[in-house]
Amino acid sequence: MSVPAEQRRREFESEALVHLDALYGLALRLSGGDEPRAEDLVQEAVLKAYRAWDRFEVGTNCRAWLMTILRNTFINEFRRRKARPTPVEFEQVAERPSSEALYEADPEGRIFDHIIDDQVIAAIDGLPDEFRIAVVLSDLEGLSYQEVAELMEIPVGTVKSRLFRARKRLQAQLYDYAVEMGYLR
Amino acid sequence: MSESGTHPPDGSQSGGQELNCEESLARVYEYLDGELDTGEHDAVRLHLEKCRRCYPHFDFERLFLDYVHELGSEQEARPGLKDRVLEMLEAETR
Repeated sequence: MSVPAEQRRREFESEALVHLDALYGLALRLSGGDEPRAEDLVQEAVLKAYRAWDRFEVGTNCRAWLMTILRNTFINEFRRRKARPTPVEFEQVAERPSSEALYEADPEGRIFDHIIDDQVIAAIDGLPDEFRIAVVLSDLEGLSYQEVAELMEIPVGTVKSRLFRARKRLQAQLYDYAVEMGYLR
Repeated sequence: MSESGTHPPDGSQSGGQELNCEESLARVYEYLDGELDTGEHDAVRLHLEKCRRCYPHFDFERLFLDYVHELGSEQEARPGLKDRVLEMLEAETR
C-alpha cells in the first residue's frame, strides 16, 4: 500500500466516518426500519464517497455531501426494486375517517409533549414506501418540495399530495396511540 | 373581530388578495413549509390574522411538523457496522 493511498484513507476516515450515525439513521428511516438493508446502504454509500473523495472539496459540508450520496444510492436502489410490482398502494388503503381527529381532540397539540418518539418513528416506518420517502426527505431532512420531486422523479404536485396524505395518516395514528395510552378519549 | 368574519368570504375582499377558510386550509402545509410564493403566502397570512377558526389549526399543524422534524433521523449505528466499513476501506485501498 502506497503512503499517499494510506494517508488518503486516514483522511477520509477522520473526515467522513464521524457521520456514520447520521448516515445510518437516514438509511434506516428511508428503508422503513430495515436494519440489514440500512447497513448495506451505508456501506455502499461510504464506498462511493471514498472512491469520489478526491472530488470532495475540503472545508465544505462533508455531512451534507455524504447524505446526498446516500440519498441518491437509496433512490437508485428503490427504482430498481420498483421495477417489480409493489404490494399495496396507498390509494387502495381506505381513507381513514379520523384524519382531523387528533386536531379536534387536542387542538393545542399537548400530545406532542407526551407521545413516545419510538411510536411515531414506527408509524413513519410503517407508511407505504412512496409516502414514507417523501416524509423522511421533507420533514426529517428538510428538503424542499422541488428537491424531493427531482430526487424521486415525480411532479411537485405529487410531492405535495403525498406529504399531505402521509402527514394526515401519521396524525390519525398518533390519535390512536393517544387513545390507547389513555391520554385522549 | 367576529369569529366568522372571513368565513365565508364577504364582499369586502379587495383584488382577490384574501383567501377564505377552505382556501387557506388547503394551503396549510405549503404555507408552513415555506413553499408558497410571496403573494399567496401573504394572502394566507392575511386570513390567519383575522380568522380565529383557522389560526389554531395552523398552529397545531406547525407543532406537528416541528415535532416530526425534531425527531431527526440520526441513530447510533451498531458497532459492527463501523468495523465492516473500516475493513471495506482497507480492502479498497490495497
